[in-house]
Amino acid sequence: MSYSILIVDDSLPMRSVIKRTLKAAGYGSSEILEAANGQEALELMKNSWVDIVITDYNMPVMNGLDFIKTLKLNDLSKDIPVVVISTEGNESKIKEFMGSGAAGYITKPFTPEAIRDLIVNILGEADYEENFDDSAEDFDF
Amino acid sequence: MKKILMTALKTSISEVMETMFFLPIEFGKDATLAQCGMDKKNTMACRLTFTGDASGTLILLAPENLVAEMAENFMGESRDQLTSEYLSGTLTEMLNMVCGNALSKTNSKVPFELGIPEMMDTSEISEKEMFTIVETTESKMAVLLKMD
Repeated sequence: MSYSILIVDDSLPMRSVIKRTLKAAGYGSSEILEAANGQEALELMKNSWVDIVITDYNMPVMNGLDFIKTLKLNDLSKDIPVVVISTEGNESKIKEFMGSGAAGYITKPFTPEAIRDLIVNILGEADYEENFDDSAEDFDF
Repeated sequence: MKKILMTALKTSISEVMETMFFLPIEFGKDATLAQCGMDKKNTMACRLTFTGDASGTLILLAPENLVAEMAENFMGESRDQLTSEYLSGTLTEMLNMVCGNALSKTNSKVPFELGIPEMMDTSEISEKEMFTIVETTESKMAVLLKMD
């Protein structure tokens, strides 16, 4: 099954790494959307359906926490699962995110397995054979 | 506080370099850029401010070749595919991960807040500054922690 996955991160390399991880995890046929901050993501979501959001915390214009709070206030987006990937490993900060409605939290540095396991847990197992992307062949899982 | 942070930073640099960039590292003796043979010309630099129980700035310098190697390992792309935006993004993301990871190891009462990492011109860096030297197999980078 293919999904629409939105990656929100101001770091172009980090978006690229997460995208590659998703492909290697079997979500290669999913539509991957990208935004550089929370505000840009909200604009994009006005016109695109999203099944799951993966967001950073520390971003310019609108950070990940304000972004999640805004999503959860809207009836149309409040049930979309949001996974946070952030350098912020402080326990109170993680609690704040989970309390605001995040479905999961991964701290950087992360392993690809951490992302795969959390996304699979939320979306369900991807059809690995059907979706396998050749460009991810050398990716270690 | 600076000593605690520096210890945490060293642990985080090792973790980030090995987990995200697949480059094992060792720490050399603290040195100026000239002493450790780093040339400002072909070097990229970035900085990140933080506030909390203690406030300061973390500065990271790395030769372009090392940044390119890190970007290749990080994204799995060949060097000819890497634009300058990817290179600077790799360096700032490295700094972001190191700083966030290190600050979370300090068990501070108040959570630290990180700024947005930004590229800086190496001419802004004094020749007299003493850096922590991080050595990879074939290259080295320099880290400077400045407390407010």
